[in-house]
Order: sequence, then C-alpha cells, then structure tokens
Amino acid sequence: MSGPLLQARGLCLARRRSEIVHDVDFAVREGEVVAILGPNGAGKSTLLAGLAGELAPHMGTVTAHGRVALAHQNGALAARSARANVEVALAWWGVPAGERRARAMRALEQLSAADLAERQVATLSGGQRRRVHLARAVALNADLLLLDEPFTALDVSARDALLDDISGPVRTSARAVVLVVHDRAEAWGLADRVVVMMSGRLVADDTPHALLAAPPSPDVARFLGFSGELRDGDELVLTRPAHVVVDPSGRYEGTVTRRVMQEDAIRLDVRCEQGRLQVVVPPPGPDVGSALRLAVVGGARFASASHP
Amino acid sequence: MDFLWSGIRQGWHLLVSGDPYLDHLIVVTLKVTAVSTIAALVVGLPLGLVIGLGRFPGRGVARALANIGLVLPPVLVGLVLSLLMFPASPLGRFHLLFTLRGVYLAQSVLALPIVTALTASAVTSLPEGLIDQARAFGASRTQQWALALREARFGIATATIAAVGSALSEVGAVVLVGGNIEGSDQTLASAALEKVNAGQFAEGVAIAIVLLGLIVLVVAALTALQVRGARFTAAGRSSA
Repeated sequence: MSGPLLQARGLCLARRRSEIVHDVDFAVREGEVVAILGPNGAGKSTLLAGLAGELAPHMGTVTAHGRVALAHQNGALAARSARANVEVALAWWGVPAGERRARAMRALEQLSAADLAERQVATLSGGQRRRVHLARAVALNADLLLLDEPFTALDVSARDALLDDISGPVRTSARAVVLVVHDRAEAWGLADRVVVMMSGRLVADDTPHALLAAPPSPDVARFLGFSGELRDGDELVLTRPAHVVVDPSGRYEGTVTRRVMQEDAIRLDVRCEQGRLQVVVPPPGPDVGSALRLAVVGGARFASASHP
Repeated sequence: MDFLWSGIRQGWHLLVSGDPYLDHLIVVTLKVTAVSTIAALVVGLPLGLVIGLGRFPGRGVARALANIGLVLPPVLVGLVLSLLMFPASPLGRFHLLFTLRGVYLAQSVLALPIVTALTASAVTSLPEGLIDQARAFGASRTQQWALALREARFGIATATIAAVGSALSEVGAVVLVGGNIEGSDQTLASAALEKVNAGQFAEGVAIAIVLLGLIVLVVAALTALQVRGARFTAAGRSSA
C-alpha cells in the first residue's frame, strides 16, 4: 500500500489558548473514506481544521501529500446561481475557465442537483443549498477532501436522500475523504473506516464492522449504541438491541419499564436483576410492567474491575 | 418668501442661459466630487476590507478610528489640513493651499472614513463562513476580496453614495483649504455659502437649488445602479 496522503503525529490543537485536541496520531491513505465520529464538543471540527491547515498545530505536525480541500459545516454560498457558485469555487481552485462549466454541471449532476443549476441560491431550500455546497467540494477533485458535518441541520428525509446521493461521489471525487459526522448512521453509510473521538482524543480507529463487533472500551461501546448494560460475574456486558432476543428460556428475567414506538417495531427497555437491556419486538409487544425473559446473543464484554 | 421664489427663478434662468459662472461652479463641483470619491474608493475599499475581514491585533481600534472619521467636523479637518499646508508645514512644499488640488485632498480625506467604515460594516455583515469557505477552497487574498466586494455590493454602493454626497455638499474644508476662490476652486456649496454671507439671498438660493438638482441627479443615478445590481442577481443573470 502507498504512503499516507495525510499524516498527523502528536497533533495538539488549541483555540483561544485552550487545548482542544490532544496528542492525535492519524493517517489517511489513498482510497479511504474515513468518518470521524464523536459527541458534541469532542473536538472533531477542530481536528478537521488542523488537518486542513486552517489551524496551526499547538504541538505536533501535519503532513499532506497533495492538495487538501475543506468543506465547512455551514457552507455559505454567494448570492448567485447554483452553477455559478460551483464555477467560482473551481476558479479559486485554479481550474481553467474553459473547464469550469462542464465540471460544475457534472458535480451538480452527481449530487442530483442539475435541475438547480440556474436557480439563485436565495430560492433554494436548506437541503438544496447543502447539495450545491457539496457539489462545489466534489467538483474540485482534491487529493484529500475534508467534509465537516455535511448533513447537519437537515431534516431526516433530506439527510437520507443526500446520504444516498453523496455515497457515490464521495468515493470518486478525491483520492481520499475524511468526514466529520455527528450521527452514527452517516458514518456506517459512508465510511470504510471510523475514528471515534472523545474529549479531544482519538479513542477508536477501525472498520465499522470491527468497531461494532469489538468496541475497544465501554465508553466507545456506549457511544456506538450499546445501550444495554449487564453485570455478568466479573464482566460488564454491553449490548445493542440487535444483540437481545425475547426467549422464554432466556437467562435474564426482567420487567418492561418503557415502550418506544419505532417505524416498524417497538423498542422495549427492560430492567432485570443484572442490569438493563433494550430489545426490539414486532408490534403490539408487551405492555409496561410485563415480565419478560430475554437472551443475549451478542454484545461486548469487558472485565468489570478495569471498567467500573 | 419673495427671495425664495426669486431664487428659484434666478436658478432656472442661470441654468437655461448657460451662465459661465454657474457652468464653472458645476464643473468644479463635479471634478471635486469625482476625484475625492475615486480617491476614497481606491484607498478606502482595501482599508475597509482589511478592517472588516482581517484578523489582527488592533482591528477594533482601526474600526473605531474609521467610525470616528465618519463624524469628524469638516471644519476641523479643513483647519488641520490648511495648517499642514502652510509654507513651513509638512505639506507646504506641495503648494496645495488655496488650490483645487488642495480641495481634492481635503474632500478625499473627508470621504475616506465614510468609504472605509461603511465598507468594513458591509463586509462584516456577510454570511458567516462565506469568506472562510472561499479560503478553504483555495481562494487567494485577491479572490477573497473580490468575493467580499461582490457580495457586499449593496452596502458598498451606499458607501459610494455617502461619499459622493459628502463631496457635493461639504463646505467647511473647501473654504478653509481652498479659500473659496471664485473662478478657481469654488464649488456650488461654497458659492452658495458666500452669497448668503454677502446678503445675496436670492443668488444663494439659486445656486443651492442648482446644487440640490445636481445631488438628486447624481444620487438617483447611483441608486439606479445600486438597485440594478440587486435585480441583476435576483434575475439570475450573473456568472462566475
């Protein structure tokens, strides 16, 4: 495999004299789509700004091989047409004038926004503006494309549609892509490698499948949706709803404490002697207060002593 | 009120008769307006962009200075400049005192903070992240400034109109620096002042009415350009 397109070593980043990102070692190789996932305030956008060179390292180094483009979270557009916005971004990037229109239209098509090309941005919805903003980023064909929360502030349907539409262009628009996302579904949908960031540090770095199969710590597991938590002897067992099934001969007996309606199912919160579990059942499902026996068929196990 | 009607009649007569005195006043006024506005735009636009978009220590002080310049009394500016233009003073060797060039300089100094402060204000009000995103997509400093000027064009047109208005109507600095010399550096505004001071109210009103007509014409033309710029964008005829 070739060397990394971008490498950060011992990277510390500060804003207003307060260190936000601590001692990050991180590399992106050609062909990768990497999602940086983490809770609010984890330092994800600050890390992206540091990787893009917008924020000088407080300590450590960032080395990039090739041109890096960063698409900011809010992605303000100029008061002109959608196509003109993409074309002017290409002009900034140094693309010859003769190529801009075709590249702009191709990028808009990739984002399913070709019909918006001649529309003024003032007439576009939030989701449409986001498509134009991302079309600008895609059109550049940067060596490394950094996307900061590309789906933030979109309603669910607009986000899902954009997620579908951008998954192709993300893989073809640059030699590698790093995107900061807030929602796990966005990371699973786009990335082939997920980095989890908490309190300014990288705490996990693996493929989505590997992370879900074996999260490296209880905190990472909880963040990744392992919402069930049991004490099993000396072990702490963390489970996702998919790891739990209703089983009359199951090991864990509990009481339903809450029902949460989902689109095609009901999620039950169940409290048992060893802890609490969540399980998804088809409707109508048992009422609150019903007794239920459950079996755990997966999940992550940690030694209790080291993870209280 | 008789002098007012008399002034209106005289003003009309002066205009339609092609009076050389009035023609000269109009030419000098337009020259002073054009030179001082262009000079203020050439210097003030970059200054306003730096103050509005830059991140440097003292940016707040620079913005405050520009804002103070907005409200400086023209008489004070004229007095300071005329003192600086005395033969033994720093600008004395340029022989600017009581000349049209001196008036150009004085009016430019007055128009500069108007353009600077209003440009800084206009570009500061641009959508958050617009310029940062341009920078992240590789825009050079010049391209960032061009983007800021284009996006803030309505506010910058307002700054230009204010600078033009100042140059057309201001008298304090013209009188102190230029000496209000008839046939040389006297403008419509300073001529009106002279006539009123001399008790020639009808003539003063006549010149003031001509000045008012000129202001209306120039500002209306600039406003039409300003509105056309806004419509141009709305109609979607812009290109990259």
